Amino acid sequence: MSSPTELALTILALPLLAAILAAIFSCTPFRAAANWPLIGACALAAALALILVGQIASATGSRAVSDAITWFQAGKLQVHFTLTIDPLSAIMLAMITFIATWIALFSTGYMHGDPGFGRYFAIMSLFVFSMCGLVLANNFLLLVAFWEGVGLCSYLLVGYYFEKPSAAAAARKAFLVTRIGDTGFIIGIFLLWKLGGWHTDLTALFDHIQQNRPDEATLTTALLCLFCGAVGKSAQFPLYVWLPDAMEGPTPVSALIHAATMVTAGVYLLARCAPVFAISPVAQCTVAWIGGITALLAAFLALGQYDLKRVLAYSTVSQLGFMFVALGTLGAIHPAFAVTAAIFHLFTHAFFKALLFLAAGSVMHAMGGVIDMRRFGGLRQLLPITHITFLCGAAALAGIPLLSGFWSKDLILEALTEASESASPYTAAYFVLLGVALLTAFATAFYTFRAYFLTFWGEQKVPDEAGHHAHESPRIMTIPLLILAIGAVFVGIVAEPFTHWFSNFLGETPSLQQAAVMAHSPVPEHHFNWSIALLSSLLALGGVGIAYALYRKGGPEELPGGVAPIFALSRNKLYIEDAYEAAIVEPVTGLAGLARVCDGLLDAITRLVSSLPRFVGQWLRPMQNGLVQFYALSMTLGLVVFVAFVMFRVAR
Amino acid sequence: MITLEHYLVVAATLFSIGLVGFLTRRNLITMFLCAEMMLQGVAINLVAFARYHGNLQGQVFVLFIVAVAACEAAIALALFLTLYRRNRSLDSTDWQTLRELGVPPAVDTEPLPPAPPETPDIHLPPAGIRPALTTEEAARV
Repeated sequence: MSSPTELALTILALPLLAAILAAIFSCTPFRAAANWPLIGACALAAALALILVGQIASATGSRAVSDAITWFQAGKLQVHFTLTIDPLSAIMLAMITFIATWIALFSTGYMHGDPGFGRYFAIMSLFVFSMCGLVLANNFLLLVAFWEGVGLCSYLLVGYYFEKPSAAAAARKAFLVTRIGDTGFIIGIFLLWKLGGWHTDLTALFDHIQQNRPDEATLTTALLCLFCGAVGKSAQFPLYVWLPDAMEGPTPVSALIHAATMVTAGVYLLARCAPVFAISPVAQCTVAWIGGITALLAAFLALGQYDLKRVLAYSTVSQLGFMFVALGTLGAIHPAFAVTAAIFHLFTHAFFKALLFLAAGSVMHAMGGVIDMRRFGGLRQLLPITHITFLCGAAALAGIPLLSGFWSKDLILEALTEASESASPYTAAYFVLLGVALLTAFATAFYTFRAYFLTFWGEQKVPDEAGHHAHESPRIMTIPLLILAIGAVFVGIVAEPFTHWFSNFLGETPSLQQAAVMAHSPVPEHHFNWSIALLSSLLALGGVGIAYALYRKGGPEELPGGVAPIFALSRNKLYIEDAYEAAIVEPVTGLAGLARVCDGLLDAITRLVSSLPRFVGQWLRPMQNGLVQFYALSMTLGLVVFVAFVMFRVAR
Repeated sequence: MITLEHYLVVAATLFSIGLVGFLTRRNLITMFLCAEMMLQGVAINLVAFARYHGNLQGQVFVLFIVAVAACEAAIALALFLTLYRRNRSLDSTDWQTLRELGVPPAVDTEPLPPAPPETPDIHLPPAGIRPALTTEEAARV
């Protein structure tokens, strides 16, 4: 229990055990206790993960790879079950288990009395297991297995209220859209497998590519295919459409899966594959552009939404875009710096976005399931703790100076500034993206506080559905809120700006150093860019200020003339989903209709053929009259005819 | 001089008698005996031809037929026994209840004479009582 590998295996096994226990509990009278395995497993795993982080931090540059157990092999394809424990996976593991613990606790209150209580916790445990496996996997196919595992859990949890047609449709949409990305992902993996000397183990594959530099065009193709998977999973443009719909699931699910962990799997994947991305400037630039487009687009779409959870969902998409922008600067600046910026934002984002979702869940709980901001308002006095914690999360997301979101966003902006001054062939692109990122930061501050003011300020308004629920949530839900609020406020300032603990820790990751060697990156120098920090703070405060000016009286929304059409455009999602509907969904539906007609035709032919024996049988059935003599007589007569026929034919 | 034709005539006669018997009689055991008779007619046929051609093939075949007929007899008689136990009758038309659904039953135009009253089965004496030995048996023991 002391080596990193054993710790990692224990962390992996705990949630799996919890899943099995919860599944067993859910079919026994212990159903109401199905939450405890998950809470216990996550808490224990979080403690172990912290020990793991401590171990890794004390042994600098350490990477522990577990012994390879052959999973399966076919010809050149050898797939091992190996785990890699390095600073990158350790910090992810700690983050996932820590956040999951509090969300599990919150869920206990949120899902209280739900008929699917046991099912919910069993799937959540399975999700935590898959996510830990995804982070630890050192083999591409193992990674895919866990990648699909989290996808499955996401499907099951989005469709948790499967009696609701919209939830079932959202689950299907989430699954199918990510599947599009996964197709590319698998193709990318096999292309890399071919380029990387038939290795499927990440470390071996990267070493091989380092020694035998492949043709750049092929490598770029492989990486872009790989990136497709990340685009699908992390809801980037053009495959972001599933994430807002995925809000049909219970709110803690949105907090854990669709804000803090699963959707960041794409970011993690690219960070993990930094050594190969570092040598392909085209792939990096694509990643950065996709990230930038998504960040701005999603921020725009979040502006006009009335559904509180949808605002948060679009904001998640936008922040993920930020992370991809940071990853896109991977080769232009020192890879460790770019990855640190992305993972640090991922880390702080996990805190404040999980917090925001849980606070939204608390609001929804109090409002009896209503989440439309037009129907409630002025909840400051009604939900004091939810209000304070939501404010913490919103301020962190908006990038108010000194809160965690500020520091991580600042790191990304710095990465972009450095990239635009680097020797990369795409400096102009990075400069434009810097502008895009600043604009997004401004929009983020605005829409976050729009949601905040509309929900908590102005005249108190409570929908009828709330009934007797309209009060602060029980303590089991407010404690996780408070803990995460503390995290959202302080985790940034503790982890990075003064001590540089996070970047130093993550910078020791062997694969990032390998990436630096492969990209011939200059040695990173940390300098806090005052002008960028000042600019981003001003933009954030400006966004908050405008939101204050417009919405401090709470709802209903009153827009100055000329802006309303823009908001309407945002509310209609820029008609992108309608375009998808018309361009992709409807032709496919038509094709399916055609296929159904053909199927019906084939069925009719088969039925016709099969009805022939039945018809003949109907006709011959009266012969069967049960008299042995009759049978014998008909047999004899038949034989006579037959013999006579043969004899006369032969005689002739 | 007995030629092949004589044998064939005998065989054909035997077969025909069997066939007619099979088709006209309703008693299961009689029908079975008739079927056996047809089989024997065929067997004679085969032996006659074997003799005529001067080889043993037909005779070997007949040996097989006899063996198969013995098995068949065992099975058939066992079946008749169970059938008799069910209906207390050996009339084959009693089993026309096995016909297809919806087909009207065949009706006897000349009904059988009423069955004689059943005589009770002969039973062995109850166990424990030894039959008395005759003097001759006693002397032998």
